[in-house]
Amino acid sequence: MRRDVWERGSRSVGGGWTILRILIVEDDVQAGETMVRGLSEAGHQVALAPDGAAGLISAGAGGFEVLVVDRMMPNLDGLSMVEALRRQGDQTPVLFLSALGEIEDRVTGLKAGGDDYLVKPYAFAELIARIEALGRRRDPSGGVQTLLKVGSLEMDLIARSVRRDGREIDLQPREFQLLEFLMRHAGQSVTRTMLLEKVWSYHFDPQTNVIDVHISRLRAKIDKGFDHPMLQTVRGAGYRLEA
Amino acid sequence: MTKSATMRAPALFRTTTFRLTLLFLALFAAAAAAFLAYIYVMTAGEVSQMADRDITHELRTLDAIYAQGGATALRDAMIERTAIDQPYLYLLLDKDGRRIWGTIPNTSVGQSDERNIVWTHFQVDQAAPNGHVREHLARGERQRLSGGEILFVGSDVDDIAAYVLKIVHALWGAGVLVVILGLIGGILVSRNVNRSIAGLNAVVGAVRGGELGARVALRGSRDEFEELAVGLNDMLDRLERSISGLRHAGDAIAHDLRSPLTRLRTRLEVAMIEVEAGKSDPRAALAQALEDADGVLRTFTAVLAISRLQSAGSAPDQSLFDPSRLAADMAELYQPVCEDRGLDFDAQLTTGLTLRGNQEFLAQALANLLDNAVKYTPPGGAVMLRVRRRSSGEVEFSITDTGPGVPEDQRGRVVERFVRLENSRSQPGAGLGLPLVAAVAEAHGGRLELDEGPGKVDEMGPGLRAALILPRPS
Repeated sequence: MRRDVWERGSRSVGGGWTILRILIVEDDVQAGETMVRGLSEAGHQVALAPDGAAGLISAGAGGFEVLVVDRMMPNLDGLSMVEALRRQGDQTPVLFLSALGEIEDRVTGLKAGGDDYLVKPYAFAELIARIEALGRRRDPSGGVQTLLKVGSLEMDLIARSVRRDGREIDLQPREFQLLEFLMRHAGQSVTRTMLLEKVWSYHFDPQTNVIDVHISRLRAKIDKGFDHPMLQTVRGAGYRLEA
Repeated sequence: MTKSATMRAPALFRTTTFRLTLLFLALFAAAAAAFLAYIYVMTAGEVSQMADRDITHELRTLDAIYAQGGATALRDAMIERTAIDQPYLYLLLDKDGRRIWGTIPNTSVGQSDERNIVWTHFQVDQAAPNGHVREHLARGERQRLSGGEILFVGSDVDDIAAYVLKIVHALWGAGVLVVILGLIGGILVSRNVNRSIAGLNAVVGAVRGGELGARVALRGSRDEFEELAVGLNDMLDRLERSISGLRHAGDAIAHDLRSPLTRLRTRLEVAMIEVEAGKSDPRAALAQALEDADGVLRTFTAVLAISRLQSAGSAPDQSLFDPSRLAADMAELYQPVCEDRGLDFDAQLTTGLTLRGNQEFLAQALANLLDNAVKYTPPGGAVMLRVRRRSSGEVEFSITDTGPGVPEDQRGRVVERFVRLENSRSQPGAGLGLPLVAAVAEAHGGRLELDEGPGKVDEMGPGLRAALILPRPS
């Protein structure tokens, strides 16, 4: 039974990709199945639960690395479900999906134990990027990292210095934060909205692509004069830092 | 009028005011009765006590005379005492109850052996002018003498009794009058209160019936009902505003989304025909459709944000913060954008000011204004972001550019939704940027002011100065 709901990713995934086991808790069956298809296509293993009660049981059975939970559902709403999970000591990262986009809704969602919050309607690329960012967050080590390393790029979080191939790169404070976020999510697509949210802490929607300009400045500093570009543009999604 | 009054009469007795009136009347009646009893006991009791003392004394004196001189001496003494205007009433009966002498009829005293205080009535000698026999009230003491005769000594307490009676009557009269006046007052007050309540009820009923425009007529009485009515009216005003705001928002969203959705649909249809005919690449068509759908969603989000702000009346989650920090964030975000477009960017930020507001919405508003400045200012121009305190104490964010500006007669129009000026149609955008800024300003109790920028300089200008002016936090 459990096996049946697993959807196997069909695409072979390249290095750096992690296959995530994802549980989607969504009462809109069509939307849920579309998500399952899309995420499977991206190489992940996805299960679907039709409401909060079923979601709680599936999530409790464990084995998931990311939970995608709709806020408004019959039987048990998303907030209560996640609160129940957290009470049981389950710390699996949760991404809330919601048609409620007000700031206070986002705050309630995060307070209830959600790790990220995505407002409907969203771009699918945004959903995947955020799920992958959450899946990666669980990455082990545990201790506080003071040195980030992606390929030839090294960031010293204490000295606030960046080197590529041993060559010192001078960054503005915001560029440093931007690169830190990209390095922590190396190999994953990060969207412009995510960057604005996580690096600048704003949730609005800029019309001109201000983020692109900042990225291109950062790119000029870390890629110019090196053998291969690390900071790549992902069409329709955002950016990705590759080793 | 009379009819409705009589029809409302039974309802009157159920009203709280009337019940309270009745309760107070009952309390008053009880108090009046107690007062009455007290007065009565005090006057009547006091009077009889005094009379009784004197009478006992007289009786003793007479008894002594009797002991010395027998009944005859007693009678003479009584006659003498009556003649010198002693205020006592006397009656002496022999042992068989026959009258020996007296100033009152012998029927009135009784013949018991006991020494006794008696109340009695007796006829007055002088008949009243109209021939009626008048009776006075007397009170006295009776004693059987050693020879078997019965002696009664009393006094005429009629005047005192009449006085007491007058007090009693007065109290009764006052009581009845108070009850009647109280009832009338109660009815009037209840009526009045009823009318006020009926007015309120009528409005509540009308609103429940869907008539949101119903309001309580104010009478200018400044009482608590007026206060309630004003409160109710105010509440209804707000309710009506937000409901009509929501209704308007719903209509507006439906209306606003129709054209972009139609455009999307047409594009998809044409793309399908072209793809079927092999004239177009399906991937390109899908990408185009996706872009269009994103546009629709952006429009939807912006319209929804505007509508929500407008119907909420004030921005949610307001906090106190330093406006220069928000502006600095925006400057940091937009400076590279300006530089990339060949625009000179400058920020003049007054620090240390305080502002109350929703930072997300204000950031969005500033971003929209900066977007516009970047979009419409030709390369070589300049954009300036400024935060300052106006002399009025208000906080002003202003963004000045050296673009073509907005003609004076169009400045009112550009804050309306979907209005785009002739020469801006080549630029991307849906015409929702400034309306959102205006909505954010309004939701903070502030305003958006559009002015000419620095004026014509060479081929540039006159520019636009967009100022987001927000009230000083109270």
